[in-house]
Amino acid sequence: MVERAPILDMICHAILIAGAMLVCVPLYFAFVAGSLTIAEVQKVPLPWLPGDQFLANLQTAWVKADFSRSFLNSIVVALGITAGKIVVSLLSAFAITYFRFRYRMLAFWLIFMSLMLPIEVRIVPTFEAVANAALPLQWLADLLHVADLWKWISGHDVAIALEWNMVNTYPGLILPLIASATATFLFRQFFLTVPDELCEAARLDGASPLRFFWSILLPLSVSNIVALSIILFLFGWNQYLWPLLFTTDKDMATAVIALKNLIPRSDSEPAWNIAMSGALLAMLPPTLVILLLQRWFLKGLVDSSK
Amino acid sequence: MKKMAFIAALFGVLALAAPAQAARVEVQWWHAMSGVLGERLNELVEKFNASQDKYTVVAVAKGNYDEVTNGVIAAYRAKRPPEMVQIAERGYMTMLLSGAVVPVQELLDQKGYKVDFSDFIKPVASFWSYKGRMSAMPFNSSTPIFWYNKDHFQKAGFDKPAATWQELEMQLYAIKAKGVSECGTVLPGDFFWSLLENYSAINNQPYGTLANGFDGLGTEFVYNKTKVVSQVARLKKWLDDGVMQIAGQGFSPEQLFTSGRCSTFVNSTASHGNIERNAKINWSATFLPHENDINPPLNSTIGGGAIWVMKGHTPERYDAVAAFLDFVAQAETQVWWHGVTGYVPATNKAYGLARERGYYKDHPTREIAVLQLSRGTPNDNSRGFRFGNFVQTMLAQRSEVEAVFTSQKQPQQAMDDAVKRGNEILRQFEKLNAGKGTEWAPEAK
Amino acid sequence: MKAGSPIATSSIWPEAPAAPPSGLARSQHKSPGETVAGRSAVTERAGRARTTKRGQPDREPGLKRANFGRGAGLPTLLLLPQVLILVFFFFIPSLRALTQSVLLSDPFGTTVHFVWFDNFKALFASGEYRQSLVTTAWFTVAQNVITLAIAVVLAFATDRVVRARSVYRTLILLPYAIAPAIAGILWAFLFNPVVGPLAHMLHGLGISWDPNRNPNDALWLVIMAASWKHICYDYIFLVVGLLAVPVSLMEAAAVDGAGPVRRFFLIALPMLGPTIFFLAVMNFIYGFFETFAIIDAVTHGGPAGATNILVYKVFVDGFINLDLGSSAAQSVLLMSFALICTLLQFRYFDHKVNYGV
Repeated sequence: MVERAPILDMICHAILIAGAMLVCVPLYFAFVAGSLTIAEVQKVPLPWLPGDQFLANLQTAWVKADFSRSFLNSIVVALGITAGKIVVSLLSAFAITYFRFRYRMLAFWLIFMSLMLPIEVRIVPTFEAVANAALPLQWLADLLHVADLWKWISGHDVAIALEWNMVNTYPGLILPLIASATATFLFRQFFLTVPDELCEAARLDGASPLRFFWSILLPLSVSNIVALSIILFLFGWNQYLWPLLFTTDKDMATAVIALKNLIPRSDSEPAWNIAMSGALLAMLPPTLVILLLQRWFLKGLVDSSK
Repeated sequence: MKKMAFIAALFGVLALAAPAQAARVEVQWWHAMSGVLGERLNELVEKFNASQDKYTVVAVAKGNYDEVTNGVIAAYRAKRPPEMVQIAERGYMTMLLSGAVVPVQELLDQKGYKVDFSDFIKPVASFWSYKGRMSAMPFNSSTPIFWYNKDHFQKAGFDKPAATWQELEMQLYAIKAKGVSECGTVLPGDFFWSLLENYSAINNQPYGTLANGFDGLGTEFVYNKTKVVSQVARLKKWLDDGVMQIAGQGFSPEQLFTSGRCSTFVNSTASHGNIERNAKINWSATFLPHENDINPPLNSTIGGGAIWVMKGHTPERYDAVAAFLDFVAQAETQVWWHGVTGYVPATNKAYGLARERGYYKDHPTREIAVLQLSRGTPNDNSRGFRFGNFVQTMLAQRSEVEAVFTSQKQPQQAMDDAVKRGNEILRQFEKLNAGKGTEWAPEAK
Repeated sequence: MKAGSPIATSSIWPEAPAAPPSGLARSQHKSPGETVAGRSAVTERAGRARTTKRGQPDREPGLKRANFGRGAGLPTLLLLPQVLILVFFFFIPSLRALTQSVLLSDPFGTTVHFVWFDNFKALFASGEYRQSLVTTAWFTVAQNVITLAIAVVLAFATDRVVRARSVYRTLILLPYAIAPAIAGILWAFLFNPVVGPLAHMLHGLGISWDPNRNPNDALWLVIMAASWKHICYDYIFLVVGLLAVPVSLMEAAAVDGAGPVRRFFLIALPMLGPTIFFLAVMNFIYGFFETFAIIDAVTHGGPAGATNILVYKVFVDGFINLDLGSSAAQSVLLMSFALICTLLQFRYFDHKVNYGV
């Protein structure tokens, strides 16, 4: 609806400009700090105008934090989390909405439960699980005295030591972050709104469940998948505590962790200029995602409401 | 379904892993050094790796001390600890009684390395040894010293900072009153370490019973009955009068000093590397002040970290560990590390070497820490601190001191509360660890 | 129903804030009780539910009427990846974390005492925990109100303007891309009373700003930082929500002489009610769980515990103090809270669609 209300429109622009400034001021100062020399950045108060060291600092930060390696890691981890979570969730949401089987409700509640506990709270046991994911089987083997049983059967002494170590591997970084059911719920909710006629028609045509999933359900879900992918990518890229505790190999550090090593601490050189340049670098890919894919993201939301 | 294939591929059933046939034995060392210190540490490791062809040490920066500790705990519980880990002085009792570490002195003896443990500087040796044997390899030892801006003192008409807190207070107020600088001093980020703990040692004040915990787990804090209370009141007064500033998050206290805004700064001697590189001011350093009714002042105590050896590795790996620790303990290594970082040399031999080469003629402030640490004979109040869960008690104490700074509590009240909270934490530690540590007694072997 | 119209319930957990409720219904009649998420499903099903009940009275909740029957093989296979990942990386670690709450153990796990509910008793007796509860209440409520208020104003303005709309939208969305840890560092720096440029501005205005010595300033600082990071989330939901407000209604009101602001308050805002409720729940969950990196960077929970919110205390007690038992007990309490929140939201958004799951 268009009506003329020039004063209100100006107020609106003013509000939006204020909002944009609220967002941009911290980023601007990060840029200013990132463009100074180490001596200038220690001045009190900080200058309001940028210096001329921006490119040099970016370069230093890039090399010092080994961003060429850690960016790659972050991309792999963020994409892995995105793809993994979406695939796994689509499949399980399909299973619990379109099939009637005995343990359906049990499966549903198992998945539902996983919404409760963020990884920060269970981080040490999660580390154990990833360092040796075969540990539960080991307990089972010990509990059931498999070794004794074998000895009794065959007369041989064996030591059973199961091992499946995922420390410093991409799966180890990715899988625990996939272990929550948010996306499953999203897809479940969506599937519940898909018209039943589609499924009935598919069945009349003799299509198999997987055929239906692939040719009908999946294309219908595209806008949901895109919107969720963007959010998951950002979530994956910005992970902090888990990669920090988990990666013992420098070559496995993600960009946020590499940045963390640039932040000056009390007994090290106060190189805030490098740290801020690094921060800008580390937030560049997620920012680009928001800038370039925003249309998709909004489209996913808006399509349904137009 | 890729994932299934992947799981199938990864699942291996191993009976007894065979030792790797790699030419060089590789061992990991997790550490907490960042910035310049981290770069120097990497150089140290490269030096060792280049010095021989049997072993490779891999240094891994695992964040700050807390993060390293957590990393090693998680890894140990998951049965994949690194071979070596750098742990801060505050974690000493936790590591000692963990049942997860190998005593360093015994390891080196057993592998045939002749490290002269009696040659370590006293406060260093006494801090890191238990029942007379070194439990971890002292690596980065520091102590707080008093940094000051020479120009500011001269402008205010003083030669140098006074030796006692009382006179120093007058100087700082004069500096402020004459408008020489905006603030006399900065609150250090680790003020509990320098201005309360080391303050107690230097001024011969007990911090806890049973020789600050050296004589048993039954120790209790007593600093609410000592000069610590008036020290907290003094800091509060300085803050109120603007003589002291708090840098706060997002900024470092050191920058307030190096930028010339504040005239003095109590901080670790390990900042030498940074200050020499970054400070554009005319700076110098001296001993920490003491109370005017305490004479002579005692030694200060150390802070920093040591290298602990974790249990659960093969003999070949311990060969590598022992070779590396021996390298760290060598006087040449110590002198180099001392020079590039500002940490104190851990042995008398290394200190002597540095002196002989005239190092302190060019770098007089580098000697202060060693002299301050080794003055007099350490007594029960100055030998160091041996409290369980020392990080936790420190955080409780810090929070109570902050309650004074924010005018929510009086100093006496706050210290009473801090001691009460601290003692509860100590009792929990005692409950868990009573009777432990026997494996450390030489006669138990 | 047009194909491709997604209904997205909120993910309940903020880690994947999930696509916002977008089935923002074209229906012209919405009772306030209906949820954003469920709305189009509800309207769509309104007629069918009855037939369903007539035809198949034993229908299971949350199952499509048109389904692929009873075979168990394929669904098991489909569920397997999710269930395996959950068992290995969620259930086993979580159970181990939770059993810690009734144990007293040293960090390396060499000595373990079973202490029943001592850890919980100690918490309820502890002044710090009570202080933390109160702080958390203030923090989450204030953060919620500020985030929503600013987001509503910005969304309203965005809806009005024509020129540069997408530029504004993009800029306001930016904080979504920034890791909480980085956001915290920026805020700590800007509002540092000694060097922060914005703190200098406050001082210039005559405000004695010092979060190091004034607990209220510190609390405000973390509230503002946390809100700054989260406004974009509420904002985008509201922008999309406003687009869905039926033009006919607004026009009718305009004909009646209601100005834009009045229309917004009388028509648009009530229609956004369910969205706002959803956002309020998400804001609470964000405040409770996601803000620890911000607290860690901006105040470390200080001064004197003034910003020590529950999740930060869990983190400090478990991660820095190595008091695993107490930390686990706090997790259990936090988790109970999250459970209530989730159930509440879940029931509210779901029961109309799913008949009571």
